[in-house]
Amino acid sequence: MMDVDPRQYENVAINDSDIHNIVLSYLVHNCFKETVESFISCTGMKQPADYQEDMEKRKRIFHFALEGNALKAIELTEQLANDLLEKNKDLHFDLLSLHFVKLVCSRKCTEALEFAQTKLTPFGKVQNYVEKLEDFMTLLAYEEPEKSPMFRLLSLEYRQQVADSLNRALLAHANLPSCSAMERLIQQTTVVRQCLNQELSKDPPPPFSLKDFLKS
Amino acid sequence: MGGIEESERPLKRVKVPSGGSDSLSANLSLTEPREPASGFSLRDSMAWSPSSQGDKDAIGSKGIIKRPEFIKIITRALYSLGYSKSGDQLQKESGIPLHSTVVDLFRQQVVEGKWDESVDTLHRIGLSDEYIVKSASFMILEQKFLELLKKEKIKDALSTLRNEIVPLSINVSRVHELAAYIIFPSSSAVGGPSSQDAAGSKSQSAILEKLQKLFPAAIMIPEKRLEQLVEQALDVQRDACAYHNTFDSELSLYSDHHCGTNHIPSQTLQVLQAHCDEVWFLQFSHNGKYLASSSKDRSAIIWEVKDDGEVSLKHKLTGHQREVSIVSWSPDDQQLLTCGVEESIRRWDVNSGECLHIYEKAGVGLISCGWFPGGKGVFSGMTDKSICLWDLDGRELESWKGQRTLKISDIAITDDGKRIMTMCRENAILLLDREAKCEKLIKENQMITSFSLSKDNKYLLVNLFNQEIHLWRLGGDPDVVSRYRGHKRTRFLIRSCFGGLEQAFIASGSEDSKVYVWHRDTPEPLFALPGHSGAVNCVSWSPTNPHMLASGSDDYTIRIWGLDQVKLKNRDNQKNGINHHSKGKT
Repeated sequence: MMDVDPRQYENVAINDSDIHNIVLSYLVHNCFKETVESFISCTGMKQPADYQEDMEKRKRIFHFALEGNALKAIELTEQLANDLLEKNKDLHFDLLSLHFVKLVCSRKCTEALEFAQTKLTPFGKVQNYVEKLEDFMTLLAYEEPEKSPMFRLLSLEYRQQVADSLNRALLAHANLPSCSAMERLIQQTTVVRQCLNQELSKDPPPPFSLKDFLKS
Repeated sequence: MGGIEESERPLKRVKVPSGGSDSLSANLSLTEPREPASGFSLRDSMAWSPSSQGDKDAIGSKGIIKRPEFIKIITRALYSLGYSKSGDQLQKESGIPLHSTVVDLFRQQVVEGKWDESVDTLHRIGLSDEYIVKSASFMILEQKFLELLKKEKIKDALSTLRNEIVPLSINVSRVHELAAYIIFPSSSAVGGPSSQDAAGSKSQSAILEKLQKLFPAAIMIPEKRLEQLVEQALDVQRDACAYHNTFDSELSLYSDHHCGTNHIPSQTLQVLQAHCDEVWFLQFSHNGKYLASSSKDRSAIIWEVKDDGEVSLKHKLTGHQREVSIVSWSPDDQQLLTCGVEESIRRWDVNSGECLHIYEKAGVGLISCGWFPGGKGVFSGMTDKSICLWDLDGRELESWKGQRTLKISDIAITDDGKRIMTMCRENAILLLDREAKCEKLIKENQMITSFSLSKDNKYLLVNLFNQEIHLWRLGGDPDVVSRYRGHKRTRFLIRSCFGGLEQAFIASGSEDSKVYVWHRDTPEPLFALPGHSGAVNCVSWSPTNPHMLASGSDDYTIRIWGLDQVKLKNRDNQKNGINHHSKGKT
């Protein structure tokens, strides 16, 4: 595979503080509070004081969402950023649906039905939500929702997805980047690599593997 | 017990129940037998038919029609036609119930909306195919679900869905939809509870009809089975009719259909004398209401075809300075193109007879013309061997050059405008594909004198110098599928055409003054029609009336041919018995 000459890398000068910022943004994004504290003190960086508090709150909200305790997550979100859910209808819907799923899983079908009727149907004006709602309602039709075609909605992956979206929305609300610098860099490298491969060889290139690249 | 016996028997042919024409006998299977079991079982007694039922189980001259089946189909037809009293009466009189008791009960329960009971009864019918039982149960429970939703008994509806419908494990996507109705009762026009009048009897019979389609025919006679059988018979008759040339609306049930050659136009009905010289070209309009003719006398005439078939002169179109060799009707029949030989093309308005436009090209003579599909343009072959396409106002849009021959004026274009056929060299026709920009050749080993394209654009009829007409099938690789001979052609340009119902016939002019007619499948002519006193140059068969043919001749006249009424009448008088139809064509 044709590759850029690795010696060219040596010619690029890297600024220490750039690297510190990249690492810090990653830690902040994922709410690693203690690590952030020790990292800041080790590197001597300057950061505003209320960083820690917000991170702590965000962390709690994220974990509630991840566990499926959507109502608590919503409550705290509204405290921290009170118009966030209004502005992010998709996210609001997804969070409410987490609660619905929780009720279904604990076999509280009547409650689930009522919850859907009161909280979820108001979203039904938009076609997008109608389809999602239909998917959720299918869970109610099965005695064992894990065996229904929509079992994906009960999974941890789904909750993770919703919790991630919530995290990003909260960051955006606080005027912080919703994607950590690290993520962005990896994404960019991958895309640039794929483009280069395509240019250099006519055959369909093998997909870029970060792991292999870092090892080489 | 009678009930168990009934469900154990394979339900292929329900035997006549004993005890005569009483509906009580139909219930015998579900209750204890009334008569003492004196030596023969209930099954035997049901198989034995008392003499009042007739002693034959098979009817019809060939003995292949089973009596009970025949009666049931008739009974079904009576109900379909709305004669339910007659239907009931027939069941009583013949002692052959339309459905077994269980099935009757099932139908009744469905119509009354007793869903749970009907699902139970369904299981008792004894269907061997599990899938049918499940599908039918699904349909019924779906109705129950929708009804409950309509009555706002949401919890009951949900319970039906969860506990009765889902365990069937079929039709999962419908389950998905039904789940959605729980919170969106008004959603979707089709199948949502609010779109159905759950209490109405109309919807009950609609359910019954849907269920009907699931069941094997022997258990529930399909609707319209008798009508279907009759239509099949008509199809067979129609297919076996060798020279079929009548519309379906004229098929009758009273006697077997057989056109014979009596339904092909073979008698002169009218002679039209208005040209003062040889008639060179004829064509009916697409709607069959007009006929256009062109002549050596430098004029063209538009004739009107009245509803009773009478043809009268509408407009005489003069203006060309040369003989008019071809006419062409616009797709909407409102305009006509005429071509003066090596001169110009004129476009005329059919209603007023006015000349709307003259198409010319400096220094070049036009020798053929045609409409572009859609009526938006006009194309023409020229003496300089090119083909030109104009828009209606005369602006040149496209032109193709190449090997084209001077003399022949035939040009054709397919309905989608994609392919053009034109003469190219004396013995070849060029198929030009405008889209693919490729060319194919149809090569003959004789000189080609004229050709015409079939209505479905799949066939080309080619007239040859050696008095043969060849039918070419167009397609991937064009090839000859039929050849016709019999007519005479030695010196002049003779044209032929497709015609009749579904263009199953070929007609041609001839130098012996006769009009020749073939069926597509036979190389020998069916008719050689005398009447003209000069070579017949051209023919045209009405596209809407399969019994009208027109021919144009050197004797300056046009003849309109129609059915020989005398022959038809004679034939009709003979048809009063059963026609035992011999298979196949002559």
